[in-house]
Amino acid sequence: MADSTEKNRKKQKRTKTKAVESTFLSKTSKYEKKGRTKMKGKRKGRDNDQRKRRGGGPRLPNVLRQELGLDAKRNSSSESDSEGGEDVRDFYELDEEVAQEESGKNRRFDEVENYQYELPDNFEDEEVPSDEGEDDSDKSEGEDQRDKEDGERHLRMLQDITGIPKEAFDGEKKKREEVLLSQADVRSEIVTIHDLLAPLQGMPGYSSLRKRVLQQEKQPMTLQAPLPKSERDKVQRKVSDKFARKEITKWEGVVKRNREAPTLFFEQDQNLGYSTVGAIASGFEPRTEFEKQMAQLRQDPELVEAYKNDGAKMLELNKVSVKDVIDRQNRLAKMRSLLFRHEMKAKRIKKIKSKTYHKIKKKERQKAASAELEMNPEAAKQQAIKQEQKRAEERLTLKHKNSSKWAKRILKRGLDVQDDATRAAIAEQLQKHEELKRKMNSMNNNESSTDEESSDDDDEEEDESKRALKALNKAKEKTAKVLEEGDEAPKKGLFALPFMERGLKKRQEEAYEEARQALEDYDATLNQLQDEGEEGEEETQQNSSAVKMTGKRTFGPAKKPVAQEYNKRQRLDDFGKDSDSEEEDGEFDEPVPQIIEDKNDKTEGVQLGTALLDEEQVMAQHAIFRNLDDMEKAVGPKTSYEVAIFAGDSFRKVRSDSGHSNKATTSSVIHTSKPSHETKETDQSYETDSDTEMVEGFLTTNLITDQKPDYELPSQAELVRRVFAGDDVAAEFERDKLETLNEENPEPEKPALVPGWGQWTHVQKKKGLPDWMVREHEEKKRKRGEALKKRKDAKFDHVIISETINRKAEKLMATSLPFPFTSKEAYEGNMRMPIGPDFNPASALSALNRPEIIKKPGLIIQPIEYEEVDPDETHDQPKRIIQGAKPKQSSKEKSKKGKLSNKLVPKTLGKKVKST
Amino acid sequence: MGEKEESNEPQSLNPASNQEEGILDKLEKKAKKYLRGNKTNLKNLRDKKLKGQLEVREKIYGNAAKVAARAEEWLKPSEEGLLEPENPLERTYRIQQSSILPEVDVLSVSKAFDMKLPDLGPYTIRYLSNGRYMLLGGQKGHLAMIDVLKMDCIKEFQVKERVRDVVFLQNDQLFAVAQKKFTYVYNRHGTEIHCLKENQHPLKLEYLEKHFLLVGTNNFSQLHYQDISTGQVVANYRTGLGPTSVMCSNPYNSIISLGHSGGKLTMWKPTSGKPLITMLCHHGPITAVAYHPSGNLVATAGMDKKVKIWDLRKFESIHSIPGHAQTLDFSQKGLLALANGSRVQVWRDKGDQDFGLYMTHSIPKGYQVGTVKFRPYEDVLGLGHSMGFSSILIPGSGEPNFDSWVANPYETSKQRSKKEVRALLDKLPPESIMLDPGSIGMVRERQRKEKLTKREIEQQMVEAVVEVKSNVEIKNKTKGRNKPSKRAKRKQEEVFNAKKPFLEKQRETKEGPPQKKRRVLLEVAEDLPKSLQRFAKKKPM
Repeated sequence: MADSTEKNRKKQKRTKTKAVESTFLSKTSKYEKKGRTKMKGKRKGRDNDQRKRRGGGPRLPNVLRQELGLDAKRNSSSESDSEGGEDVRDFYELDEEVAQEESGKNRRFDEVENYQYELPDNFEDEEVPSDEGEDDSDKSEGEDQRDKEDGERHLRMLQDITGIPKEAFDGEKKKREEVLLSQADVRSEIVTIHDLLAPLQGMPGYSSLRKRVLQQEKQPMTLQAPLPKSERDKVQRKVSDKFARKEITKWEGVVKRNREAPTLFFEQDQNLGYSTVGAIASGFEPRTEFEKQMAQLRQDPELVEAYKNDGAKMLELNKVSVKDVIDRQNRLAKMRSLLFRHEMKAKRIKKIKSKTYHKIKKKERQKAASAELEMNPEAAKQQAIKQEQKRAEERLTLKHKNSSKWAKRILKRGLDVQDDATRAAIAEQLQKHEELKRKMNSMNNNESSTDEESSDDDDEEEDESKRALKALNKAKEKTAKVLEEGDEAPKKGLFALPFMERGLKKRQEEAYEEARQALEDYDATLNQLQDEGEEGEEETQQNSSAVKMTGKRTFGPAKKPVAQEYNKRQRLDDFGKDSDSEEEDGEFDEPVPQIIEDKNDKTEGVQLGTALLDEEQVMAQHAIFRNLDDMEKAVGPKTSYEVAIFAGDSFRKVRSDSGHSNKATTSSVIHTSKPSHETKETDQSYETDSDTEMVEGFLTTNLITDQKPDYELPSQAELVRRVFAGDDVAAEFERDKLETLNEENPEPEKPALVPGWGQWTHVQKKKGLPDWMVREHEEKKRKRGEALKKRKDAKFDHVIISETINRKAEKLMATSLPFPFTSKEAYEGNMRMPIGPDFNPASALSALNRPEIIKKPGLIIQPIEYEEVDPDETHDQPKRIIQGAKPKQSSKEKSKKGKLSNKLVPKTLGKKVKST
Repeated sequence: MGEKEESNEPQSLNPASNQEEGILDKLEKKAKKYLRGNKTNLKNLRDKKLKGQLEVREKIYGNAAKVAARAEEWLKPSEEGLLEPENPLERTYRIQQSSILPEVDVLSVSKAFDMKLPDLGPYTIRYLSNGRYMLLGGQKGHLAMIDVLKMDCIKEFQVKERVRDVVFLQNDQLFAVAQKKFTYVYNRHGTEIHCLKENQHPLKLEYLEKHFLLVGTNNFSQLHYQDISTGQVVANYRTGLGPTSVMCSNPYNSIISLGHSGGKLTMWKPTSGKPLITMLCHHGPITAVAYHPSGNLVATAGMDKKVKIWDLRKFESIHSIPGHAQTLDFSQKGLLALANGSRVQVWRDKGDQDFGLYMTHSIPKGYQVGTVKFRPYEDVLGLGHSMGFSSILIPGSGEPNFDSWVANPYETSKQRSKKEVRALLDKLPPESIMLDPGSIGMVRERQRKEKLTKREIEQQMVEAVVEVKSNVEIKNKTKGRNKPSKRAKRKQEEVFNAKKPFLEKQRETKEGPPQKKRRVLLEVAEDLPKSLQRFAKKKPM
């Protein structure tokens, strides 16, 4: 039974042996080798090469080997490949040597078996397999045997269990083996060319192929190790770069031409789509559900017809269903109930007496109102009117100005004593006053005048008791003004004549006297009033910390004695009202600046410099002071005089005040900068009359004036100098030039002694100037000299060329070279040509000022297309259409050309590649 | 237009080819003129793109110049005529008007005429820039506007006030009159349009067409610029040199020149309160000034009995004519007219700025010529004198070809209004008045004192750093010191060193005002006691 099954199995396997041999390779295990050694001599008809390939294999566990069915294979192979016995022997020799060395098990086999290798080629062992199989089973309980037996057993078991004949299971096993083999196939690494060639044997090209293979084998090629990756990449890049460059350089011509073209045109005729709204509307198609419904309704033939025929029919179509009516009623009822509820709610709210609630409500309302103000100009106007009224009221009543009983009481007690809340309340009240008083959104902005404001200020500060004071002051001011005006009045026409003037002056002086008398009177009364009012004021001053906090007006530190304060206060008031009575008494000489300082809330310390400064300021601000000053001084010897002189071609009237110390005037005449009316008059008279007459007239007037010591004639030399003004022109010009030079290139300051160290002991004077100073000075001088030499007018004696920089004209020039230019010459050369229509004929104009790009609006600019361009092409043709490179189809010639060019020029990159 | 009194004989006939060549040469010459300077040298340019662009541009310029030259050939057919002596002994200034008149055409004869207006006193005259209209201003208030082409009085009226000067504004629609107290603007119907109260007691008026500026001097020796399109007073400067009625504008750059009693000629622009140039021209008051249309020459007349012609490029007097002159004027073709008393002389440049007497004319004795004015585009000289007005023929004074872009004597009302609009659009701001208007748009040279801006410093720094980075050579050092990190550090150091000066500069600019100047004691203060010296102030000069 066992035998028969074994035989069966072998038979089945025999068919596969070839494939197994060729694919299952050298790395078989020792077990295998053992098995082979047993089978020695029974293997024949094998190629040498093939055998050699069957070297060692992986050492597989028994189970695996069983699975592989190696033993079975071996057996079957020995059975089938009986022809090539000799070759087999060789193979086994080699195999055995290894086997013998490696394992001691082999020694157990007798040597006779070894001799079986030397069997002749024609040795037949057809019968052997069965014997051997028996032998195997008989001789030893080797693993192979056991495997087989295992397999047998397994089969048998299967048969017993299933009751199916053994063959079926055998086939299954075979299949499994096949799968495994193919897996092994994949795993095997080295597949020789011969292995691949073998199946091709007998095919048409086999012989030649084989020959070639053999040839190759005869002269073995040594492959070089592959380059490292980086190197490989480099090479690759180099090659690809070459290609890319070729591709890109091809474009160079096109790009260059476009870059250098003065104008690019993108103006091919293209359909730009709809041009009108109507066109767009006509192409409308309803897409969404809603649109479709609408369209349906619109195109409803019934409706259309009704509309066309008569409006009456529309009514018929306008039916309302019962359901709709009911719906509507319901809705209305709902609204009514809502309204009612709202009413109720409003009533309830109206009854609420909570202050906080109303406060919050009020705030909300205000917010809303302010929002409305912003939106609505009419409301804003109303608001402004209201505000104005409130303001007026506040100004009248001074309700919030600590005038209430409560406030007065608190102030009397002193604010410092009060608790925070009271203080806050007072502060708030004041603030409110300020707020109300402030002008907001006033109706007529121009109504305000400084006078009013000043009076307002006064209102704040003073009590009503002072109103009288104010009135007096006003009167004083007016008189002062009159005085001032009186000074200027008689300067026209006949009154311009000197003697008339003198008479007038006399009369004026009288008037002045009178006016001054009046002023004095005013002052006296003023002083009285002030004395009276002082007490009340002091009180307010004591309690005026609140006022102080607001930073209005401070009256110096509180420590100062009352008397002093009083004094100052008085002066201040006087000062503020431009009175001058104090000056006469000589009181108004020193403390003025001090008071001003106080007024300005500055430090109390009086410094000479600042005082001087302040004085100057004051003088500048109150011009009236000066006038009055002059007037006073006029009481003594007369100081102002007028001289008319003929100089050049015009009269000049000169007025100088010897009283003014800062205007250092000599007897020589100064040219007044301000031309008075008089000069004009005389001038005109000169123009109408002849020269000689004028001179005579002038002289006669002077004769009259000679009687008075105030007027003096210009000296004879002066007159001569003026008549022959031209004689000394050169010298004058030289002087002028020197002046301008000094102005534009100022002479360096002479080094002077340094303030500070050693100054008191004259050390600096003894030692002289320090070195560095002298050196600096020299350097500056040298630089100035250079600058003077560099001037454009350095060579000319008779020319002054101003070198002041004109800031305004700077914006018309470039501060630096505009971008593409690198040299000034190139830029200015490019700019030299005027391009306007005034300078160029119309035919050349368009080329000169054509924009860089001309493009139709709405046109889409297509990407550039390749075009072959002659690199040496000139840019003669001014017009070049870029878009699509397709010319207009309007003229046949053009189209022909276009076609030609299309043929000549490969359009796209892809085409070009293909052709190559 | 231009009459040829004794014109050149036609040249002997040449072979056709020669003639063609001549024409070509002529064209080339003209084209060169229109090229306005030499071609720029592009060889030094490194930027290829720019080079290409500039080459294209240059080509366009060349084409434009050629077209212009060709256009000139056709559009400027007439040449100015001149009086030319037949023999060397003949003098052109001996030729009287009476001998000219029979020779010229009828139209030209009508241009020579006299108007006797004895009552309203010496007349000043002014032509419109296209030569069509004339304004007559009698000193005693007589104003008249005359269409001299049609010989038609457009408006005549009395202002009953002293009239000192008249001037056309922009076109014939408006003109300004310097009257006794103010400058008034009237339209062509004699309606008072404006009273310019800003400039009181005006003496002389001048109008700058391109800038829309009315310039006036007044009795207070002020120079007053007013923009007549907006009414703004652009500038008002005190000359500080006395009132003057000698004023003239430079047609090239619109700079105003004033002549003063000190013999000085000052040149002004509206954006500077001091004269740009002051020239000492005469040893005595200057009586008249006139500019050559090129703007390079200026003629001045002084009380020192001299008339001088100055070249403003050299600031040199190139010619001096003995004699007084109350008034001067240059014609479009560069003839200089001067008048003294009742005598009028016309001088002509014979080439190379060699002026010679060209014509003389005298009006009846006792008449005093107040103004001489050449009529533009005509060979006519107008004389305003104490007894009215007369016009005489001066061959070769006017430009024979008018350019309707500039001025058109035959313009229609539509053209006029169009031109007005265009002029308003092209109005130049007052800043553009400068000595060298060609410098507009050019690169401004950095002033000495001007500090570099922060950005510029940064730019320079970046440049320096780039240079250092590219040029820096770091030596190989011994083993331990040649690590890449150390090399990088060294390199960085170099870069920082290069940056350093710029960083310092930047810091300086950031700091703002420099340190306070040390107060230096003045010598003046030395006579004060020591303790008070420090308070001594330097008096403002």
